[in-house]
Amino acid sequence: MIQILIDSLIRAAELALLGVGLTMVYDVLRFPSFAHVEFGTVGAFIALTISLALPFGPGSSLVIAGIVAMVAVGFLGVATDRAVFSRLRGNSPILLLIASFGVGIVLRFGAQAIWGANAQSYPLPLMRPWLIGDGRLTPSAAAIIVVALVTMLLFHFVLNRTTLGIAMRATADNKDLAEASGIFTERVIRLVWFVGAALAALGGVMLGVATQLHTNMGFEIMLPVFAAVILGGIGNPYGAVLGALVVGFAENIGLAINWGSLASALGLATEDFLFIPVGYKAAIPFTLVIIMLLLRPTGLLGEKRA
Amino acid sequence: MSAFLVYLITMTGIYGIMSLSLSLQYGQTGLVNLGQVGFFMVGAYVSAIGSTILGWPIALAFVAGVLGGALFGVLMALPIGNLRQDYWAIVTIAAAELVRVIFLNTNLGSPYVGASYGITGIPSPLQGVLGGPYYGYYYLALVAACLLGCYLVVQWVSRSPFGRVLKAIRESDEVAQALGKNVRAARIWTMAIGGAIAGLGGALFSHFLGFIDPTYFMPLETFLVWAMVILGGAGNHLGALAGAIIIQLLYNGTRFIGFGEEYASLGASLRMVLIGVLIILVILYLPRGILPERRRRYGVRDAAGR
Repeated sequence: MIQILIDSLIRAAELALLGVGLTMVYDVLRFPSFAHVEFGTVGAFIALTISLALPFGPGSSLVIAGIVAMVAVGFLGVATDRAVFSRLRGNSPILLLIASFGVGIVLRFGAQAIWGANAQSYPLPLMRPWLIGDGRLTPSAAAIIVVALVTMLLFHFVLNRTTLGIAMRATADNKDLAEASGIFTERVIRLVWFVGAALAALGGVMLGVATQLHTNMGFEIMLPVFAAVILGGIGNPYGAVLGALVVGFAENIGLAINWGSLASALGLATEDFLFIPVGYKAAIPFTLVIIMLLLRPTGLLGEKRA
Repeated sequence: MSAFLVYLITMTGIYGIMSLSLSLQYGQTGLVNLGQVGFFMVGAYVSAIGSTILGWPIALAFVAGVLGGALFGVLMALPIGNLRQDYWAIVTIAAAELVRVIFLNTNLGSPYVGASYGITGIPSPLQGVLGGPYYGYYYLALVAACLLGCYLVVQWVSRSPFGRVLKAIRESDEVAQALGKNVRAARIWTMAIGGAIAGLGGALFSHFLGFIDPTYFMPLETFLVWAMVILGGAGNHLGALAGAIIIQLLYNGTRFIGFGEEYASLGASLRMVLIGVLIILVILYLPRGILPERRRRYGVRDAAGR
């Protein structure tokens, strides 16, 4: 049982880091960016290159490399906004969405051209996991959960207690009104891109620490991230965190449940043990999204917008 | 060389059918279907399963593929019929991935059929009568006939009163609703017609290659079809065909730029970067495509009454 809790929290940490930026960009610019997860891929690979070049131990090298990658990808996010999205302000969200699809392709295959199509991994040493009940927690897994938790608390503080956060929320709420109140909304939008892309890069590094690095890693986690964001209510950062927890637990619990007794009670199957095969794991977040859209399209914490 | 040319033209024809389908969905109705490859896969698999495992006549398998695509379109549209287009984008891309995940993990009949093994020995139509060195030309004629048929169907739908409802929905679903049109039903019908056309494309694809597996149906295919429609000019079906020809030329023509054996994967990545950049440039500088839609104006007269 504790193992499921640990696995779910790791998954939720990755999803939350990638989802918060996505939902922020949506909140301010009103389109779902299909390029967002690719910032995670690029960030993970930049961190790999830097950490291999640094002379320190593998752990501290990765910490420094991760921070540098976050800043670099943050600027990359601002650059894509300047180059593409800022020229499309005021256009229909559909056009922006398709442009983001194109940007995502460029980022993903650009990364593949630079770092190759083979899977790689961070040079972290093998560490003995701590035993907690029947669960095993490796130090790197613990680090992922702690990093995500601290980042989310920081983010909450920035959003609520700083002028920057208030300007961000004002711009998201009503851009014209924010502008009239003396907020330079273009600067806020640039900051949203910076913070969102940097958080995505952090999410990408965490994803790489948990498993491996691959140029498809961003695309593969895109649908669960969107599922988390929609579940929580698209445009709401707290909703994205809540959605990440729901998706993280649903994926792991869904695979761990023995559906045999339920299936035989319904007369569908006669096996005593019936588990969802791991290959179908990708179907779980999607099913959640469909149910959510049918019942409450605005998400758990979403409010209806004009 | 001429065999390769025939292959290339046949594939261009199949992609032309796909882009006509998307042209109806996005160009005419404004539906952001990022799961276009899902239709293609359903059509290809249903037709392949019908003609190999179930032993149906090929004509029946084709019809089943077309109906399968239409049914998938309806299923995809049902939960999201009333929602905004950003939700469409996410749900359709997820639905296509779900189809791929299911086919990737499900054996069909025996242990080495279906799943990642794919389906082999898919028969070609009329091989007994027309088989021989010129069979490629006959199949090309079949694809061309289907392409022409699809073009006529799409044009006919667009010119009909129903087509004008679709255009009204594209411009503003609220206006269409205010005029008493059933927006949800019209969207579902569009997905059914678009799905049927793309399903036909999939059936033609599987019987052309004789072998399919899930790697042929990656989300990248959807992106290529989108590139065709955007480049050609959304809303102009002839433009969709022009886009299909250009993107196919670009995609296959760049194969011959010598990168050498060891850089083959680099070449493949750069090719996708190129197409991504092209799409972004078209959206930025030529948003209506190379063959823009001819917009009819109703009841606009100048002061002289002309």
